[in-house]
Amino acid sequence: MKTSSPGSLKTDIQDRDLCINCGACTELCPYFKSYKGKIAMIFNCTLGQGKCFAHCPKAEVDLDELSLFFHQKPYDGHPLGHFKSIHVSRAGETMARVLFQNGGTVSSLISCALNNGVIDHAILTDKNGILPEPRLVNTTEDTLHCATSKYLAAPTLGELNKAMQNKLSNIGLVGTPCQMIAAALTRMNPMNQDGFKDPVSLSIGLFCTWALDTRKFMTFISSKMEIRDIKRMDIPPPPAGIAVIEKDREIINIPLEDIRPLILEGCSVCPDMTAEFSDISVGTFEDNPEWNTLIIRTEKGEQLVEDACKKGYLTLSDLPEKSLDHLLSGAGMKKKKAILKAGTEGLMNTLDNSKPAVLRMPESLIKTITK
Amino acid sequence: MSDIKNDAPPIRHLMMGNEAIARGALEAGLRVAAGYPGTPSSEIIETLAKQASKHNLYVEWSVNEKVAMEVAASASFANIRSMCVLKQPGLNVAADFLLHLSGSGTRGGMVIVSADDPGALSSINEGETRPYAKLMEVPLLEPGDFQEAKDMTKWAFELSEKIKNVVILRTVTRLSHASGDIVMGEIPEFTGKVEFRHEGFIIDPMEGAVMSAPVEYKHTLQQQKLAQTVDIFESSPFNIYNGPDKPELLIITSSICSLYCREAVSLLNLEKRVGILKMGTTFPLPPQFMKRHLSLTDRIIFIEEVLPFLEDEVKILCAEMVKDIGIKTFYGKRDKTIPMVGEMNADITLKALADLMGMTYQGAPEDYKKKAQELSFMKTPGREPTFCPGCPHRASFFSIHEALKLDNRHGFVCGDIGCYSMAVLPCGFQSIKTLHAMGSGTGIASGFGQLKRFGMDQPVLSVCGDSTFFHAAMPALANAVHHQSNIVMVILDNSGTAMTGFQPHPGLKTSAEGSDAIGIDIPSVCRAMGAHVTICDPFDLESTKETLLNMMDENKGVNVLVLKQACALSPEKKQKQKYDMTIDESLCQGESCGCGRICTRIFCCPGLIWDKDAGKSKINPVTCAGCGVCASVCPKGAILKKEV
Repeated sequence: MKTSSPGSLKTDIQDRDLCINCGACTELCPYFKSYKGKIAMIFNCTLGQGKCFAHCPKAEVDLDELSLFFHQKPYDGHPLGHFKSIHVSRAGETMARVLFQNGGTVSSLISCALNNGVIDHAILTDKNGILPEPRLVNTTEDTLHCATSKYLAAPTLGELNKAMQNKLSNIGLVGTPCQMIAAALTRMNPMNQDGFKDPVSLSIGLFCTWALDTRKFMTFISSKMEIRDIKRMDIPPPPAGIAVIEKDREIINIPLEDIRPLILEGCSVCPDMTAEFSDISVGTFEDNPEWNTLIIRTEKGEQLVEDACKKGYLTLSDLPEKSLDHLLSGAGMKKKKAILKAGTEGLMNTLDNSKPAVLRMPESLIKTITK
Repeated sequence: MSDIKNDAPPIRHLMMGNEAIARGALEAGLRVAAGYPGTPSSEIIETLAKQASKHNLYVEWSVNEKVAMEVAASASFANIRSMCVLKQPGLNVAADFLLHLSGSGTRGGMVIVSADDPGALSSINEGETRPYAKLMEVPLLEPGDFQEAKDMTKWAFELSEKIKNVVILRTVTRLSHASGDIVMGEIPEFTGKVEFRHEGFIIDPMEGAVMSAPVEYKHTLQQQKLAQTVDIFESSPFNIYNGPDKPELLIITSSICSLYCREAVSLLNLEKRVGILKMGTTFPLPPQFMKRHLSLTDRIIFIEEVLPFLEDEVKILCAEMVKDIGIKTFYGKRDKTIPMVGEMNADITLKALADLMGMTYQGAPEDYKKKAQELSFMKTPGREPTFCPGCPHRASFFSIHEALKLDNRHGFVCGDIGCYSMAVLPCGFQSIKTLHAMGSGTGIASGFGQLKRFGMDQPVLSVCGDSTFFHAAMPALANAVHHQSNIVMVILDNSGTAMTGFQPHPGLKTSAEGSDAIGIDIPSVCRAMGAHVTICDPFDLESTKETLLNMMDENKGVNVLVLKQACALSPEKKQKQKYDMTIDESLCQGESCGCGRICTRIFCCPGLIWDKDAGKSKINPVTCAGCGVCASVCPKGAILKKEV
């Protein structure tokens, strides 16, 4: 994987509006920090190569190399990536009845992993007002606090960098597809650090089609209501076409067309809807909001799901054929669009002496995917 | 500073030009002196303040130069001798009052000492005092050496009393700050009781009302005073010709440039061919005296600094006298023989003279400057101007810079005049983006804060020091609050007029003379003006940054952040370390990814050293002031602080 300088991360990724505020370049050094949904380079850094660049999911991600590292198989462009099995799932009897976004699968899996020593810590995304905020938790109670989707880009990977600095290990990580890519890149030890130990024991990826630019969203929403009055936000699956904002005694529906201009530019070149580089991926189940779609990708994932079912944390069921087709076409469409866009914008397989590529993959695969 | 109080004449004493001016004022029987600190003028008031009780003077550091001039004028109105001391930009500040003062006239001798800084050695301008004399229609004196600095100052009071108007004495950095031999005179005793007489006929100059109206009458009177001055200047001993009866070339010069001329003429052995006319009374020029000397030759060169003031005045006279003195050939600024910017020196003078006299002068070679730069670049470590070790400004700008970057909306800082002006440079992380006059930072910010209506969405910050706050930033703050300008004003309160040497200001509880004064609380003033005020310790980087971010977020009205921490060189702090600083080398990451030596590459306190061989940072125990801030800068906790 090609690694370049912190300066290039600023000029070629952030200044080209590709940054999605995943946090992978933060908490490494005094130079990159996230504030209110935006990464800032505080001072210039003169190093030729930096972890910040190496961890960035928008800078020189060679999907083949990443797939070989994570799945021990080359990248094949399948809409859902490499996986073992697909199910629908929801929280089991062991879990308290709390308000989940959908079936509560992620909270259940993390609780099970924490309670059974699969992981010692979990890095999740909490909220501070409407701002998402990374959080390191050790208990089921704190895990439940972080439930529900955020829709705003969160610098969660900064918390992983911080945990690594503090020499924590056996960490469970929950995040969006780009965050899973960044985490996988981090776990590859791209700068060949001595004594590096993979700190992540479990990764749970969340389905994602896009995230909103925090600042654009705050400007947009503050013209409609007091931000501090917002309790919760949800974007129900299609064909709803709305964002639902819950206030104390009021529910406000905002048409998705109004929200779309607030989507992060970087999301448009993301080929991964289902978090292909994770042990387990979880998303909505469009037929029944009480359940989640669950993709098991690794042996580790398989084992945890099995354990969670046995111990009553999780209930599994089959994903109907029709829903799988729907999922495949949705994920395939996102991949195709992203790769086409990256191609036209010159962000794909760029030449050695030009600006860094966002993505790299064999040309033959590009043809197959964009057919 | 030498001892100017030794008052037994005719003792010779080595004295700084500024001390000579102070001594001259004492010998003239000065009673009241007021000024505002500014290099190269500050030592005059400082010297006088030390003599205040012994010689029964009142000396003050005023809030600004305009008020200083008003304070000095009041003493003159009460018929005692007074002096106002300022650097040239301060004359601009006081110019409004000066226009009216020169119109109203004075009673007791009143002298304005204005110090120019050609070449801007300690300034961000090379403003000129001399055109003010012409603009305000008052006499101008320019001492050419140290003895003259003293003698001319003393005489300036007599002149002022004779013509009943204020007199400007102009000094420059090289006169103010260099030292020379002075023969001292007596200092008179003060007896009597002071009274401001105002019950006479309204336009009576000594007993009426003091004002510039009725304008036509007073203006005519003022011009008569100037005519009277011309007569006096015709026989002034401060205008001196040295040279042959028929020189091939006449140098006309004034101020410290006269020394460069003497040096150049002597080095080129031109004493028998070139004459030097050194003018001490440069406005208004005495025509008859000038005529005698302009008649000596047809070739004239002007050696003066910055603007062609003397050159233009002489050319006017020459035009008027052309029938009598004939046509002249002039060399100077207008024909580019002499540069119109920067300091003069003997070398420029030598070269100009040699060229005009058809001689070859082997001065510094053409590429000397380039070679010197190359050598110094190669052989010496880079030493950019920077804040002192332990300076609160470095910490303040570190937080300001970080907050602006985090905020990420291309915010900027409108700068002001003080040590912190250096924040245009890397030592202040290049945070300051506009830099003009005293108080201008907040004034400019007040305007920027209104541009939101035209789509400007950048946060606007201003900085100003505590002394600058009282000097000129208060009106700007009032303006910003009144018009609901959206700005953050950061007051860098380091407890004194630090840049010029810790002169007190209205925020402090001592006066120039060291006696008790009422200290005005800056946060209370800002609150009373209607700003939201927060006080932080700039050494607490985290809370300073957080406060700034919140203030920038608020997006309405004026927020004031007072960053209070005394200057590292302040008398109460100097050589007292709060912390003993050490570096745990096992934790120091040096240049590797994760740090990139932020302490010695970015923060750059002179108390930190980069040990290239070890690849580690070190504390320089000689320069470290023990402020402890770098411990918060180090990302790995390698810099340790232990309370002393």
